[in-house]
Amino acid sequence: MSSHSVENVDPSNVRLWDYDDHGHDFIGTRSIGFWLYMMSDAMIFAGLFAAHGVYVHNFAGGFTAKEVIHPLNALWPTLFILTSVLIYGFGMVALKKGSRSGVINALLLSFILGVGFLFMEWREFSELAAMGAVPQVSGFLSDFWVIVLTHAAHVFFGLLWMAVMIVQIARNGFSQNNVYRLLNLKIFWHFQAVIWVCVFTFVYLMGGI
Amino acid sequence: MSHGHHNPIEHPEVQLASMGGYLIAFVVGLGAMLIALWMVVGHTLSPVSLTTVISLIALVAVIVQLYFLFKLDLSSTQIWHTVSFVMTAPLFVMSVGLTIWMFHTLMERTMLPGVCTF
Amino acid sequence: MLVDLQGPWSPIFGRLGLLLDVHYNNPVIFFAFQLVVVGGAIALFWLTCANRWGWLWREWLTTVDHKKIGVMYVLVGLVMLFRGFFDALMIRTQQAIAVGPDSPGVLGAAHGYLPPYHFDQVFTAHGMIMILLAVTPMLVGLMNIVVPIQIGARDMAYPYLNALGLWLTAVAAALVMIALFVGDFSHAGWVGLTPLTELPYSPGVGVDYYIWSIQIGSIGTTLGAVNLIATIIKMRAPGMTWGRLPIFSWTTLASNIIALTSFPVLGVALALLTFDRYIGTHFFTADLGGNLMMYTNLFWIWGHPEVYFVVLPAFGFLSEIIPVFSEKPIFGYVTMVLASMAIGLVSWTVWLHHFFTMGASPGVNSYFSIATMLVGIPTGVKVFNWAFTMYRGRLRFPTPMLWAMGSLFLLITGGTTGMMLSVPAINYLVHNSVFVIAHFHNMFLLIAYATFGAVTFWWPKVFGFKLDEKLGKLFFWFFTAGTLFVFIPMYTLGFMGMTRRLDYVSHTSWQPLLLLELFGIALYSLSVVFFLAQLAVSIRDREKNRVTGPDAWGTSRSLEWATHCPPPFYNFAVTPVVHDRDEWAWRREHGLISLVPDRYLDVHMPKNTAVPLLIGALSLFFGFAMIWRIWWLAGVSLLAIIVVIIIRSFDKDTDYIIPAADIERMEAEILNRGAADETSDAPIGGGAGGALASPRKRDGD
Repeated sequence: MSSHSVENVDPSNVRLWDYDDHGHDFIGTRSIGFWLYMMSDAMIFAGLFAAHGVYVHNFAGGFTAKEVIHPLNALWPTLFILTSVLIYGFGMVALKKGSRSGVINALLLSFILGVGFLFMEWREFSELAAMGAVPQVSGFLSDFWVIVLTHAAHVFFGLLWMAVMIVQIARNGFSQNNVYRLLNLKIFWHFQAVIWVCVFTFVYLMGGI
Repeated sequence: MSHGHHNPIEHPEVQLASMGGYLIAFVVGLGAMLIALWMVVGHTLSPVSLTTVISLIALVAVIVQLYFLFKLDLSSTQIWHTVSFVMTAPLFVMSVGLTIWMFHTLMERTMLPGVCTF
Repeated sequence: MLVDLQGPWSPIFGRLGLLLDVHYNNPVIFFAFQLVVVGGAIALFWLTCANRWGWLWREWLTTVDHKKIGVMYVLVGLVMLFRGFFDALMIRTQQAIAVGPDSPGVLGAAHGYLPPYHFDQVFTAHGMIMILLAVTPMLVGLMNIVVPIQIGARDMAYPYLNALGLWLTAVAAALVMIALFVGDFSHAGWVGLTPLTELPYSPGVGVDYYIWSIQIGSIGTTLGAVNLIATIIKMRAPGMTWGRLPIFSWTTLASNIIALTSFPVLGVALALLTFDRYIGTHFFTADLGGNLMMYTNLFWIWGHPEVYFVVLPAFGFLSEIIPVFSEKPIFGYVTMVLASMAIGLVSWTVWLHHFFTMGASPGVNSYFSIATMLVGIPTGVKVFNWAFTMYRGRLRFPTPMLWAMGSLFLLITGGTTGMMLSVPAINYLVHNSVFVIAHFHNMFLLIAYATFGAVTFWWPKVFGFKLDEKLGKLFFWFFTAGTLFVFIPMYTLGFMGMTRRLDYVSHTSWQPLLLLELFGIALYSLSVVFFLAQLAVSIRDREKNRVTGPDAWGTSRSLEWATHCPPPFYNFAVTPVVHDRDEWAWRREHGLISLVPDRYLDVHMPKNTAVPLLIGALSLFFGFAMIWRIWWLAGVSLLAIIVVIIIRSFDKDTDYIIPAADIERMEAEILNRGAADETSDAPIGGGAGGALASPRKRDGD
């Protein structure tokens, strides 16, 4: 009963309807939704890391972790993705200042670094394939390929999105839609750095121990 | 929906961008990964303590990134981001941790010693 | 890269060559096929004769209105509920007949009328359909309809995404229905028992249907969860503080947090299984470093939270229905909220209790056992709160309240048997027995009861007229009798040692109880007849049963009753200001029930769009192509989806503004409608669409 106010309300004075309806915070609504999606996406990695914890020694008499995983080789992708994220951050600073060329340049540079990341991954995995360490060999290799390439697939779709955004910004400037998309792509892209820190530590470094 | 913020650039979430914050996240993230890499490559500790230490380093790096890249704090623009993260993180840790725990005990009880090094 | 397949494969038709070996002369399949063909033909005939194609396209297929999307969700759920019910009917009949070595066998079966492989597909389809394609869409649909009105919003946070979620769910349902006639369905249980689901043991397309149907549907559910959470966080009307949020919105929030975080794990489990089946990885194989319990683990990391994802909205329904018919505010609002959130959290810590017998250490089993028992605390709090809400209330028992009462009783029996199962020592004894089946059917029936109650409760809000009470009560009592006759014998058989999924029962001493179950399902079938009659009679007599005024039950409490029945497509002429936890009750008590504001404002609404439907259609092609391994079609559809999304991102013309004068005119029309007694054409859903007659013209502006 506590919810019921006991005082008498003056019907002529109470405000039943909201006449200065400002609408809702469009950009904020978009970005919380995307952040929620990101949380959901993080749980994909939760499932994969849980699997990694179980498959990590299932070599099935084939390649061991030491033969497949070289932490030093993973340094290059680390540099690429972290720098790309930093440059995208600079793009957000340029957005704050309203500089269209700043945003486009940062996105371009970030895009190129992202492509660099994917190139390093491609090189690593084509080497693995060449030496016969394909996912069909053992539970461990299945898991290694899938967890790293799931991250790479995220990076790929991030790059696709980034390319579309470069065109969008060049055509339409900082419209409300473009601004919220830049914010969401920032969430997506920066999240890949966080996930990469986990992949690098728990897959590459621990595989090298 | 177009009313509210007339200039989208003035939106508080756009205004969160900060050069210094991104640089800190970059330096700490990269530094942490380099230290961890050096520790692993140089075999500085026993495997068990190495695992613990690099996990802790990763945890620090992730927390720094979450704070400086995503500005997760209790301000009115960011509170729901923070709340949803705080609610998701335990689920992430639980699903990974409990899985590893249950399979670890399962292997101990069902596999021949030495066949599986789990 | 790709695995070697048994059977034919061609680059153009994929594995469709397998169809040449399917025997379509099986009367069971033939009957189902005829049912679908005749039903489809009637629908097409009606649409063409009544010249309804344009109406279907404008008002339903391309809509972004959350109420209509919700209605379509419920429709999908209802269709699949019937499909699942037919499966149940087949399972019960088979088990009643195929008892003992002397039992007769027809249609190629040694005993009964379903050969083992067919029977296995039937129970797999039954489980998967009931949980993922019947209950889930109905609940999501009701959340879609009610939550935005209940919190005073004009629509969901992302109306376009909402439509996309619906169409992806519909694709999932469509794939399962296609599996009836084109190929076969999974035979490995709704949980997908590994390694039975692996390619060597399930070389057909059945498991692929199962995988892609769930995968696509769960993407839809995840999108819906994002949408509902963001809507509740961001779209509440002024004054709708967290402390005033109706309990149903709270439980929706809790349950969608669960959906948001758990469905991706299911996606991972199925994706890894997909890799096993398509490219030959070793995740869940029995050899080469695979770990088949890992699938079970990942599946239940999702599966248990999923149980709470479906039960929490049902708790929300009860929390809305019981106060209205007790004429009291809900007892213990704060504890109700805390209990919902606690259930959400605890649901994430208990999943191993689905496979206690895996062989993890006593420490692990004890932990998960205690965690499971903890669920009883918040649930108990809820039960007591509902009981105290009714205590000394002015009780009435129309159909929604009856369903709520039934639900409460089922919750208590189902909860108690659940507590028994949470003890590993008992669990080892009854694991995979029909005792477990009776327990979880008990729990799902509580959800079904609450959902039927909620549908009856909110029906007048959505369509503007009430459902027939007399037939509704007959439906309830026959359904309840069916529940008792099916599940009390099933609990008993569980204790007698009958295991689940039996296509042949060897103990003739079990037959009397199985026949009782058959009698129970006959009662269920009768109740379905009453349900259909209730719908038909109510729609026929809709003018007689029309609700005047916003409050259909006279004692309603929350904000969704503070707008017209049915609500116009913009929900509220002017956004309401909320003053109380039970806003409508508060307004009624203070004599402020007029819906006419001082003045009207422009309203900003999203435009209809065909893009979600298009993406849905492309996903259907994609899913079908992946199932039959028609790589070119899969590639083309996936590419087309991406291209459509990119093209749409350049579309700036997605919203429009309704001038205040138009709103005023439409409101006047609605308010005069009760007085004028017009015999306007109001077909099913015409309620929600009725007010759209005028604004439809504006779509092209």
